[in-house]
Amino acid sequence: MFDFLIAFAQTINNQQYTLLTTIPFYLLFIILMIMSMPGIGQRFQIWIMARDVEQGLYRIEKFLNDAKSQTEKLLKENGAKDPKGVVNRLSEMLLIEPVNIEPTDIIPRLRLLLRSSEDKVRLILSQNVQNIDPVLRSKLEVSAEIVNTLNLLYKIIRHYLLQAKKLNSVLILYQLQMVVPIYVKIAEAYAKAQNAFLKGVPVGDSLGPLVASRFLLNAKRKWSPSRDTVAGEVEFEGRKIIVIKAEGPMATVGTPGEAVENVIEEYGGKVSRIITVDAAAKLEGEDTGEIAEGTGVAMGDPGPEKIAIERVAVKYNLPIDAVVVKMGIDEAITEMKKEIYQAGEKVVDVVKNIILERTKPGDVVVLVGVGNTVGVAQ
Amino acid sequence: MSSYSEQRQQSSTKIITVIKCMTCDYTVEREMKDGDFVLKVEGKCPKDNGTLYIAGIYAETTQPQSQKK
Repeated sequence: MFDFLIAFAQTINNQQYTLLTTIPFYLLFIILMIMSMPGIGQRFQIWIMARDVEQGLYRIEKFLNDAKSQTEKLLKENGAKDPKGVVNRLSEMLLIEPVNIEPTDIIPRLRLLLRSSEDKVRLILSQNVQNIDPVLRSKLEVSAEIVNTLNLLYKIIRHYLLQAKKLNSVLILYQLQMVVPIYVKIAEAYAKAQNAFLKGVPVGDSLGPLVASRFLLNAKRKWSPSRDTVAGEVEFEGRKIIVIKAEGPMATVGTPGEAVENVIEEYGGKVSRIITVDAAAKLEGEDTGEIAEGTGVAMGDPGPEKIAIERVAVKYNLPIDAVVVKMGIDEAITEMKKEIYQAGEKVVDVVKNIILERTKPGDVVVLVGVGNTVGVAQ
Repeated sequence: MSSYSEQRQQSSTKIITVIKCMTCDYTVEREMKDGDFVLKVEGKCPKDNGTLYIAGIYAETTQPQSQKK
């Protein structure tokens, strides 16, 4: 390499050498002049930023197409006549939020809308797949939800990108460029989540049901206090524990709020404590699997289920304990990590300690394992 | 930043099923099979003939040799 340069330098005279060194300088000067002209520099900046956002958008589109084809494949394998049509219909399904300018009765209204939306998806699936069983139905429901979320993400980012290009707005692109990597990460987590749900592997969010299942192992009596939810009665150190979780091993979160409300009413309010166990989003720097204790309902719910527990607790003056296990948002929806599984084992002991420490023999305690119960039975 | 497909190539995920005995401390782990779910009964314990059940299913990510160095 150096030999070549020396040989090249020896072959050219001084005049040629000066010309060779000054041309790039002039070229750079001209480019800088053009770039500093009003509008041109900005257009170049828009082009560079738009390309960056487009790359992210392309990745989200790929995740969306993969999720769509997996759902179509599952529908086709189970005899659906028009899998593509069904997937497209489900991907565009929307839920219009209730009026919040008048908050009176917003919880029953929101509950009605959420349940109607769930029923609608179930009806579409059962009409298209003959002899659908609960496990297959839950897999298809989760797949439909993933496709719907990815479709929404893709369309919103595409909307702002096209708008920014149309308006030549650097400011919109700056904001997009900042948030797109976060949304690509979320989309990637959703794409991975679909595989876990289709295989029936517990996810990070299944921690609550996993802990509840440990207690339900020796349950004498089991019943269904509300839709897609189970309760079981177990004895522990002279106390009666009513364990509540979503009905597994299907991929569902059940209706734990309504279940707690019904169970406590069934016992005439003669309950001494409510303990909730759930996965919680960790902050950057926190370790996955960290356990934290607190007060209140540990539940990532849009509202109706959480408020049902709070209201029944207020009605009978019941203290509510929360035990959470920290994890990333992506870890909550993908295959349960070893650290989370091990934390679940420790949470069983934490819950037992809470019961021994804060209740006395003869008391009735309600334990709720909150989360998606995919791969976890009772 | 490595892409999703690159990351998938770099690490492999194994799904492990943990089987425990209801009456003794016997525990065994194996790769997850289709149809496995937590609390599924898995036969009899070789130690005390108690009932074996699936206590947990988790993912273990292993890095290839070149990554570990």
